Amino acid sequence: MITVGIDIGSITTKIAMMENKKLVYTDLSLSGYDMTAAWKTIYEKMLQKTGRNETAVDAIVSTGYGRANVKIATRQITEISCHAAGARHFFPDVKAVIDIGGQDSKCIKMDDRGDVVDFVMNDKCAAGTGRFLEVMARALHVEIGDFAVMSKKAKKPVTISSMCTVFAESEVISMIATGESRENIIAGIHDSIASRMVSMMNRTGIEKPVVMTGGVSKNSGMRSAIEKRFGVKLGVPDEAQVCGAIGAAILASR
Amino acid sequence: MKKFAYYDTGHEFPEEIVMAAGFTPYKILGDVNAPNDPADRYIHHYICPFSRSCLTEGMAKSHEWVGIAFCHGCDTTNNQYDIWKRHVKTDFLYWINTPAKNDATAMTYHEHELRRFIAHLETHFKVTVTDDKLKAAIQTSNRIKRLMRELSALRATKDISNTSYHDLTRKCVQMEKNEVIAELEAARERWRNQPPFPPDRIPVLLTGSDITYGAVMEILEAARLRAVRDDLSLGERYFAETIDETIDPVKALVAYHTRIPQPPTRIPFERRLEFLKKCLWETPVSGVVYQILKFCEPHGLDLPFMTGELKKTGKKVIVIEREYTPTMDQQLVSRLESFREIL
Ligand code: SF4
Repeated sequence: MITVGIDIGSITTKIAMMENKKLVYTDLSLSGYDMTAAWKTIYEKMLQKTGRNETAVDAIVSTGYGRANVKIATRQITEISCHAAGARHFFPDVKAVIDIGGQDSKCIKMDDRGDVVDFVMNDKCAAGTGRFLEVMARALHVEIGDFAVMSKKAKKPVTISSMCTVFAESEVISMIATGESRENIIAGIHDSIASRMVSMMNRTGIEKPVVMTGGVSKNSGMRSAIEKRFGVKLGVPDEAQVCGAIGAAILASR
Repeated sequence: MKKFAYYDTGHEFPEEIVMAAGFTPYKILGDVNAPNDPADRYIHHYICPFSRSCLTEGMAKSHEWVGIAFCHGCDTTNNQYDIWKRHVKTDFLYWINTPAKNDATAMTYHEHELRRFIAHLETHFKVTVTDDKLKAAIQTSNRIKRLMRELSALRATKDISNTSYHDLTRKCVQMEKNEVIAELEAARERWRNQPPFPPDRIPVLLTGSDITYGAVMEILEAARLRAVRDDLSLGERYFAETIDETIDPVKALVAYHTRIPQPPTRIPFERRLEFLKKCLWETPVSGVVYQILKFCEPHGLDLPFMTGELKKTGKKVIVIEREYTPTMDQQLVSRLESFREIL
């Protein structure tokens, strides 16, 4: 059985193909303004690369913010269920998932069977999301990919007290003006997101093992800040950024 | 009949007193479609947007009302009394200091406050508010409450959209009361003949900040959730209890306000929880939707305790924070859909 999961997020669109429960293909691209064009492009590319015909695909599940754009989807399932299923594919014992996405962040609690029992998402603001990191990277004139290395060189991480992205940005700019090192500021930014994630996680109750999915999980500085706050080691799937699409492809087979 | 407006974040205002004085009570609910900039000149934009919208409405429409009364309500609104005094043109602006407690002292104080309000109305408008007029008003009020109870109960068994219910609750507090009764009786006939509760909808208990515009209800509908119970002021808080028709009418009003589903502005919060638990016990619902308007302080303060306690009942609870906007927030729809998936 061949199934496909398409996850249209606010920043990136991800795709995964499973064949008889084995992951055979993943890809991602920017969502851009035209989400339909975005998923169609990577869908066609997937068919080409895997040498499959569209008729060979038995079921498609779309997920993510733009899931309604995938008109050929057999079903639409929200990203909460898909991220949980994706994380369980890599870590069968997982009990909690943290996902920091482009415009939202979430904590998902699962039971022994892998069913979602509770979840919490960030309030309606960009604080604690991938967007928050982007804004900070811009203010600091640093590539987001360098955040991990730089944060590890911090001697004394600063405290970012504002939870609002706009105010936090001006707080960061004031710190730059007073000569604070970028390393210390970046470590402080990671800490502030980590503390937000901890307070979110406390609302559902933390259960181990915890898996982190989403693009931000590639940032090892961010990961260690969360691990320090939680006091737990995070599992990170090889395909963390595509986890939602993988979960969608898994759920498509059910 | 002339309208007498009131500004009340819960259900504290004694509509029956105004009815007995010969006016139609009109609850100020703001207008989510109108920009808030007139009010924003006088209130910082970090203050509850609903309350700013009410000031905008007050500034634009006060000429349509014979007077305006405030109730204590939440800290956001009662602190606006001075602002209204300066910027809203009216011949009669009055503040009823409704108490936050329900004990004997608070009840005595509340009775005194209501009698003082009556005296001011009588003097200013040259009317007399007799016990008989009050009793007649209470009867009318009770009729509306009973009709609303019947209609509300149909939500769990018939195909009644969230918006249809919300529209009626708005009418109860803004329309002339006899017209309300006619509307509710007509709705009762229509609703009784509606198809049964649709199998693709999930019944939930709705709580949190008061919902004053239809878009919030449409968001629930888009996520295929149906609010079959609630404790909102435009909702069950308004009609869950009736007013005693056999005792002194002012004392009856005071007693009534101690029995209604409590808003978050009243203490202790266990009283509010009791009603929500009663709803869960009486009506089969799959989960609880706790929505909070951005910058709503009383609910922000109640939220951790209330959600923790509601979860202890074994029900799933989702908390969503909403903006004050008439647009359908797809992010919220998506969150509610996720919630539906786990129910
Ligand atoms: S929404 Fe909350 S803060 Fe605003 S008026 Fe109502 S109770 Fe007060």
